[in-house]
Amino acid sequence: MAETTAAPLPLEIAGMRKRFGALEVLKGIDLQARKGDVISIIGSSGSGKSTFLRCINLLETPDAGEVRVHGELIRMRRRAGGQEPASAAQLRRIRTKLSMVFQSFNLWSHMTVLDNVAVPPQQVLGKSRAEAVKAAEALLQRVGMYERRHYYPSQISGGQQQRAAIARALAMAPEVMLFDEPTSALDPELVGEVLKVMASLAEEGRTMLVVTHEMGFAREVSSQVMFLHQGSVEEFGPPASVFAAPKSDRLKQFISRSF
Amino acid sequence: MDPFWSYGLMIAGGAGWTLALIIAVIPVGIVLGLLGAAAKLSSWRLLRFLAESYTTFIRAMPELLVIFLVFFGGARAFNWLLAGIGFPEIQIDFNPFVAGVIALGVVQGAFATEVFRAALLAVPVGQTEAAQACGFTRWQTFRFVTLPQVWRLALPGLGNLLQILIKDTALISVVGLADIMRNAQIAAGATKQPFTFLLLAAAVYLLFTTVATAVMMLLERRANHAWRRA
Ligand SMILES: Nc1ncnc2c1ncn2[C@@H]1O[C@H](COP(=O)(O)OP(=O)(O)O)[C@@H](O)[C@H]1O
Ligand SMILES: [Mg+2]
Repeated sequence: MAETTAAPLPLEIAGMRKRFGALEVLKGIDLQARKGDVISIIGSSGSGKSTFLRCINLLETPDAGEVRVHGELIRMRRRAGGQEPASAAQLRRIRTKLSMVFQSFNLWSHMTVLDNVAVPPQQVLGKSRAEAVKAAEALLQRVGMYERRHYYPSQISGGQQQRAAIARALAMAPEVMLFDEPTSALDPELVGEVLKVMASLAEEGRTMLVVTHEMGFAREVSSQVMFLHQGSVEEFGPPASVFAAPKSDRLKQFISRSF
Repeated sequence: MDPFWSYGLMIAGGAGWTLALIIAVIPVGIVLGLLGAAAKLSSWRLLRFLAESYTTFIRAMPELLVIFLVFFGGARAFNWLLAGIGFPEIQIDFNPFVAGVIALGVVQGAFATEVFRAALLAVPVGQTEAAQACGFTRWQTFRFVTLPQVWRLALPGLGNLLQILIKDTALISVVGLADIMRNAQIAAGATKQPFTFLLLAAAVYLLFTTVATAVMMLLERRANHAWRRA
């Protein structure tokens, strides 16, 4: 094994594969995210973007491949018909470092906005209630949701729910943030407020993987763009080269359809 | 004393037993229902089979038959078990109340299993995925996310079961519990005024079901708090 003196990467993925029955959805994907990278994952519907993201934090179990978070390998073990996480405790610990923001927000509907953000650090990180509430209020301030902290998810707009969900993700002090089409379920006039929050996170140097159809965001905010096609990485590179000089015909077609 | 009042008092006393029976059966039914639903949705085949057998069997039996089985067979089986594990000197006898709690609890549990199973399936999967993604354990996911939402989804179904339970308690009178029904029958027979006392009993059952409906409405309002528009 090669010796490395550099700090471990926030996220390293090697050879990730996943199939659903006869359908091979991920055909061996590699990805390295350096600190502060904002990697936009683009591709047409069904190309495997969500599955890729969900295999990283093991919401889906990949059939093969390695995930390392800050150098630590998520340990897997064989079992009939595939593999499974070898240690539930390790998986939980690593999941706290990989916050996820979902397309459909998935705020807990029986909790107020404040509790949505304060309860996970309390239960998972063992913070005191007072500490968790204080941190949650600061985060809600930051995403512009402080005034609405006592509302329930059903009482606020989609854009507000997604900003609260981003605050919940931030509350775990994650190493890497995973976004799965965070604006796709929003009315067009609400997309901007969420993208603005995400751009500010990129600005402060957070490491982010963002599945998105917002080509403006991919081009202006991200440091790298990954184009997925039928479960393989078709192109990867900085937005300037990927968008200005796409090599494959499929990416050219995809871009012409997207702008 | 006027026989109307003394028999009236007797029926009121019976109402006490009926109420005690209802209150004792509710937690038994809820716990069995939650366990049954968890077993039905478990990935373990044996558990699924056991839960499926339980609900299939109970739902096929008339309630009265279950009551007889528990009352006449239950104590005997229990004593036989006690002897089997080395305590032949202990002999218990089921009184009608205990038999009633067990029999009606088992019946309620079978129906509550279906109510909770449907409610568990109705919690959107994104709710539990968000918990897992935050690093919640399975227990924490259940305790903080699933259970509070299941409760709300299950309440209407549980309300129906409570109405059925209130009326089913009358069946326990056949094994001798001095409940509303039994005392009303005694009063009706002794005074030759069946209509008076049966109507009195009907009024008490109506009172019980009305209060139960009101309580369920209150619980549903509270449980739906988070889903109401501001
Ligand atoms: N749980 C699943 N079971 C079976 N097929 C699935 C499942 N999840 C996704 N798929 C299939 O995998 C393919 C990729 O899906 P997905 O990763 O959601 O694509 P994308 O997010 O790029 O639109 C699709 O064909 C989809 O139907
Ligand atoms: Mg998707």
